[in-house]
Amino acid sequence: MNPFASVPSLNMQGQYNSPNTHKYSVILPTYNERKNLPIVVWLLANVFREHELAWEVIVVDDASPDGTQEVAMELAKVYGEDKIVLKPRPGKLGLGTAYIHGLDFCTGDFVIIMDADFSHHPKFIPQFIRLQQAYNLDIVTGTRYRSTPTPSLSGTRPGGVHGWDFKRKLVSRGANFLAATVLNPGVSDLTGSFRLYRLPVLRHIITLTQSRGYVFQMEMMVRARALGYTVGEVPITFVDRIFGESKLGADEVVGYLKGVWSLFTSV
Amino acid sequence: MARAHRVAIYSSTFVLVYFLALFAVLPIPFLDSDVVAQLLPVIPWWLLVSFGAYSLASLGWGMFTFQDCPDAYHELLKEINDAKDDLRGKGVTVD
Repeated sequence: MNPFASVPSLNMQGQYNSPNTHKYSVILPTYNERKNLPIVVWLLANVFREHELAWEVIVVDDASPDGTQEVAMELAKVYGEDKIVLKPRPGKLGLGTAYIHGLDFCTGDFVIIMDADFSHHPKFIPQFIRLQQAYNLDIVTGTRYRSTPTPSLSGTRPGGVHGWDFKRKLVSRGANFLAATVLNPGVSDLTGSFRLYRLPVLRHIITLTQSRGYVFQMEMMVRARALGYTVGEVPITFVDRIFGESKLGADEVVGYLKGVWSLFTSV
Repeated sequence: MARAHRVAIYSSTFVLVYFLALFAVLPIPFLDSDVVAQLLPVIPWWLLVSFGAYSLASLGWGMFTFQDCPDAYHELLKEINDAKDDLRGKGVTVD
């Protein structure tokens, strides 16, 4: 039997004072996030301090014109230059390359990727870490569609979304059904981008990934499964677009279909 | 081998076996030939309808179990305020 899956092992994760000796790097690609970045960093710092974890945040800024980099430097003064690491880039070069750029500066052995616009809440990171340690997983991803983690773990709440109307939910379920039928990825939320990766696993997958945009996130998960890495899921709450409205146009639908097809034929 | 290639190989094998059975090249054991002649032509349509029913049921169940989380939204708004106050005190420009 898997010793990581025994009842005592599952129950003990996160509840004992033994320090977790891993270091967690959060890569935050930013573009015009001057208002959101301080708050996200505050939330992250609180979560990591509360759970006594070694951490760092790598801010990969694509030459934001609104002063994101200045705010990042102020945060570095407050939290420490070793904790908030600013690594800017000369222009808007895309999400995948932002992660690759950030990976070069990671000193942790686990990497967390997430959005900086409050749709992903750092309070779920300890649950990701608990699940990862309980089953020695390579990747843990957040899912909006499940109420319980897979493999099972206690002390979590059901996932969900806020700010989606019926049509948006239907489109989301339809898109997920299509991707699940065509690709059989083994995860319930394929386009989610709130994930915890082991550093070498992320390095390996990211060198193989070729898509851009959110298809990039899908491709990373599908490739990880194809390469045999172990994946777990934790339900998360996704608060969409605190400020502003998100639109889903025909271009995005076509792009999504093309992305699913290209993954079907290449992985 | 990509997933598309695996799916293509499996499906062409099944289609070949199906057509061989349909044109009576391949014998089906344990069933009368007239029963087989009535059953085999409708199998593709049955598969299509079953898949349609499964898809609809899956979408319907997914919509039924799709959770909303208003608490998370309110909690987040409160935390944003707390964060702004705390950071202003520490000298970070927030709004």
